[in-house]
Amino acid sequence: MTAEEVTSEGQTVPIVGEDITPKKDGGVLKLVKKEGTGAEMPMTGDKVFVHYVGTLLDGSKFDSSRDRGEKFNFELGKGQVIKAWDIGVATMRIGEVSQLVCKPEYAYGAAGSPPKIPPNATLVFEVELFEFHGEDVTEAEDGGIIRRILTKGEGYSKPNEGAAVEVSIEGRHDERVFDERELKFELGDGENLDLPPAVEKALLNMEKGEEALFTVKPKYGYGSTGKAKFNIPGGATLQYKIKLTTFEKAKESWEMNTDEKLEQSSIVKDKGTQYFKDGKYKQASVQYKRIISWLEHESSLKGEDEEKAKALRLAAHLNLAMCFLKIQEHSQALENCDKALELDGTNEKALFRRGESLFGLKEYERARTDFTRITVLYPANRAARAQVCVCQKHIKEQHDKDKRLYAGMFQKFADRDAKVTDTKGKEKENGDGDSMDVAENGAAEQTAA
Amino acid sequence: MPKFQDVVQKWRNTPAHKFRQKDRELCIQIGSACIDQGETAKVLDFIKEEQNQGIVKALGLGLLQPLVREIVRRRRNPVHCEAAVSHLVQTLKPKELFDNLLGQLEDCDPGAIGETVICLLPLLKTVLLRLGGGKGQSVGAVLEAAQKQVSRLPVPYTRQQEKVDAHGLSRCCTALLDFIQPFVEEVKKGDSKKGGPSAAKGPANDELRADIVQFCMMGLREPLLQAVLQGRNSSFWTFATGIMAILPAIEKPLPVLLFYQPMGKGEEPISKAASYSVESRACLAYLLFVQLIAMETFPAIFCPVFVLQCNMDYVKLLFTRKDESWLTKGLDLCEKSLERVEDSSLPVEILELRAFYTVPQNLVEIMTVCPMKHLKTRGLHVFQLFIDKLNGEAKHRFFRCMLKTSHHAGVEGIVIKNTKNQVDPAKCGKVSCWFSGEHLLSMLQLILSLPQGPQTDLLQGMDRVMESLNLLRFLLIKEKEQSSSKSMWAELCKLSDSYRKVLRVCLSMSRTYYSSELKTLRENQKNKAKEIREALKLKKPVREINVRDEKLSNMSAVEQHQVLQCAMVTFDLMDSLVVRIEELTEDRAT
Repeated sequence: MTAEEVTSEGQTVPIVGEDITPKKDGGVLKLVKKEGTGAEMPMTGDKVFVHYVGTLLDGSKFDSSRDRGEKFNFELGKGQVIKAWDIGVATMRIGEVSQLVCKPEYAYGAAGSPPKIPPNATLVFEVELFEFHGEDVTEAEDGGIIRRILTKGEGYSKPNEGAAVEVSIEGRHDERVFDERELKFELGDGENLDLPPAVEKALLNMEKGEEALFTVKPKYGYGSTGKAKFNIPGGATLQYKIKLTTFEKAKESWEMNTDEKLEQSSIVKDKGTQYFKDGKYKQASVQYKRIISWLEHESSLKGEDEEKAKALRLAAHLNLAMCFLKIQEHSQALENCDKALELDGTNEKALFRRGESLFGLKEYERARTDFTRITVLYPANRAARAQVCVCQKHIKEQHDKDKRLYAGMFQKFADRDAKVTDTKGKEKENGDGDSMDVAENGAAEQTAA
Repeated sequence: MPKFQDVVQKWRNTPAHKFRQKDRELCIQIGSACIDQGETAKVLDFIKEEQNQGIVKALGLGLLQPLVREIVRRRRNPVHCEAAVSHLVQTLKPKELFDNLLGQLEDCDPGAIGETVICLLPLLKTVLLRLGGGKGQSVGAVLEAAQKQVSRLPVPYTRQQEKVDAHGLSRCCTALLDFIQPFVEEVKKGDSKKGGPSAAKGPANDELRADIVQFCMMGLREPLLQAVLQGRNSSFWTFATGIMAILPAIEKPLPVLLFYQPMGKGEEPISKAASYSVESRACLAYLLFVQLIAMETFPAIFCPVFVLQCNMDYVKLLFTRKDESWLTKGLDLCEKSLERVEDSSLPVEILELRAFYTVPQNLVEIMTVCPMKHLKTRGLHVFQLFIDKLNGEAKHRFFRCMLKTSHHAGVEGIVIKNTKNQVDPAKCGKVSCWFSGEHLLSMLQLILSLPQGPQTDLLQGMDRVMESLNLLRFLLIKEKEQSSSKSMWAELCKLSDSYRKVLRVCLSMSRTYYSSELKTLRENQKNKAKEIREALKLKKPVREINVRDEKLSNMSAVEQHQVLQCAMVTFDLMDSLVVRIEELTEDRAT
């Protein structure tokens, strides 16, 4: 324990405490004011909840969570807070109250943090740790996948969908290791390797070189049916230790010149088409999206290159629309059809797929408009003509439904109308079955470009 | 109006449940007629008359709309109408009143949106407070309807427009804040009653909270994202301050809203509704970090790099729209977030984050394509700030990428100038290892080349060529003095020789081309002058003369002349630099 008492003018807070910096440069001095109760200390990545009061050396308070009346929380060790805190809070136990004296290099440095903190300020915090828990990496934040980081990774980027990863995986169930493998695969392909969804979700949140423990609820594990191959019963909570050794970082658009972009786009397009043929629509869509991100803002193109880029973008949007139709993401399909039509206003496939998307979104009137347009522009397209009829039927049915709805509202007219609409409604229900078949046929005729 | 008196007498004797539709219609008819003729004092007297209270209770609702319409029109002094309305609002059944007023709010006259909203909101507030606990989702419904109307109003652009407030947007904002205040208090009271923040609260309270949050988020997007905040006494400033105070008060802490909401993990936002709120949050970030609204309640714990990372996503979003208000906000937010970060501290890995390579590209776009001069200048400033914050390795990578992809001589010039500053220890303290030896040579290979070889247009590429020659000369002098490694010198001379050769050819070609250009221009001017003289003699109209050079064609002849003159001077300058560089390399060789 080192204690240096510096008393300069106007200073009321004594600079005392144990130097807890890894470098031992006295940048963060910690003084325990009240011992904590817990045995454990929070780990990197944990969500921690604290109360704090921050003062400058002259004793003036610049910030306090207690004044705001709500605890402050952050993810530890991820550079979300000033360095002194990432170091200091990691040494605390639940219930502990500590004073942290932080040199500017571990706080706001020469820049300060206007308007509250002047340049080159040493800061004093009194921090109380209330609770901490592992970080939830699920999108819904339902506690389904909780991470505790063992070794922090490097860099800022994380693998995205479709990226090739190299990982070591160790899965445990009740102390029994059931799965231990070194794997190389592309994200999205995990199912074929008998990996539960949790592993891929976890990997999407990991940095290169990171090693972490994940506690996985059945929902993201092997569900209620379990996994016979690994002898996992239904409803089992799993533990995974995952290390992301490395992952392929795709060259991003700004590092490529125009020729490289065009060349890469063609390669990626073929890759996408292959995925599409294998029925891997998600992976395919990842590839097509890359083409768009590369070429969308390319404004310096001229002549032949411009045509090439346009054709690639058009194909990418059309194929994306097809992928989204396959996985029932109608609104995203619609978006891509719109983009495709911006490039080529009378594109047959774009119009057809937009019709299908709209149909999927139950926008029958607009769907009909698109299909009708195809029959005008391309009289040979029989699928479109069939679709027009299907839409017609649905519009009528919806209309009848509305009528019934209103009939309920206006009791007076209900009796008279009810008979008519009822019989009509029955007819429609029969017709519905046929229409869906036709829709399927229509879709099947259109394959990826 | 003798007949009217009869009717009133009859109504006075009618029990409440015996009134018919016919009576209601008649009441509206008579009321409207009176109001139209300016007999509002009579209407007020009628409504206030003790004996008429039964009638008012039964038929008064119908009078609300004509009264409100009269107030909104502002044809005459509305004092009687206002008194009449406030009497009605206090006496009629709140549920019926609410439906009536909300209906009026929902389909208000498109020509008088502002006035209608301003008139109806206080009334609705009174009614809702009378409804008390039974109001359910009514607050949300009012807020939604009001905001839908308000979003149709044009947002003022100048201070003057805001002051005049022709469409009432500013006053609507004030009215909205006024309206919401008691409900914010209600949520706060509910929270404190149920104990600490983590304790479970009543569902009604949470519903109201959700409605208010929704209102705040909508308000941030519309009108605040469009609005220009002109100082503290602007009504938008007050509105923004109000919203920023409400959010934390109802337990939506600003850090949570800004940093810990899913941005749409992955590429796309989760849904349309979610992307809506990302825009609102971008505005929130702007108000907090640029205008410093509510900054005093914001935790001073966050690491500036983390804040920058989060804000860059918002900046990226703000740059997606080519509106001045969005671009300005994006530039401001980017600037303020960068300023807090220490110089030369951002690591190379940060460039892998999507926003960190999209935003600089957007900045280049603003600098080179945007027609507004002040945005261009700001773009350049922020671009330079961004460069300053990168560490050596990140600068090296960023510069190479910019040279490869920016396609703009001006931007390349900036990058080359920055390279020189990195090499110059006097300018940046110490020489970064990323700008010496091998690393420097790899950069020089990109810098000391001409994009289109000898065909490069030197007038267009002037910025880049001048900066690259400056850098080369500087390096040669420096190497000569330090005489560090032999191989470095040799490599430098090699690069310099090949560059000089191409440049020589290029210079002579450009000079020939532009001097002939200059000659043509002079002749054209002479001809034109002659023509004018002749035209003056003959009093004929002057025919426009087309200048051959298309690139310069949208400048006036005088400007073109200046540009060409300037080009010739620059070529001379380049020539002398090339000669100087030649001397330098030869000096050491001997």
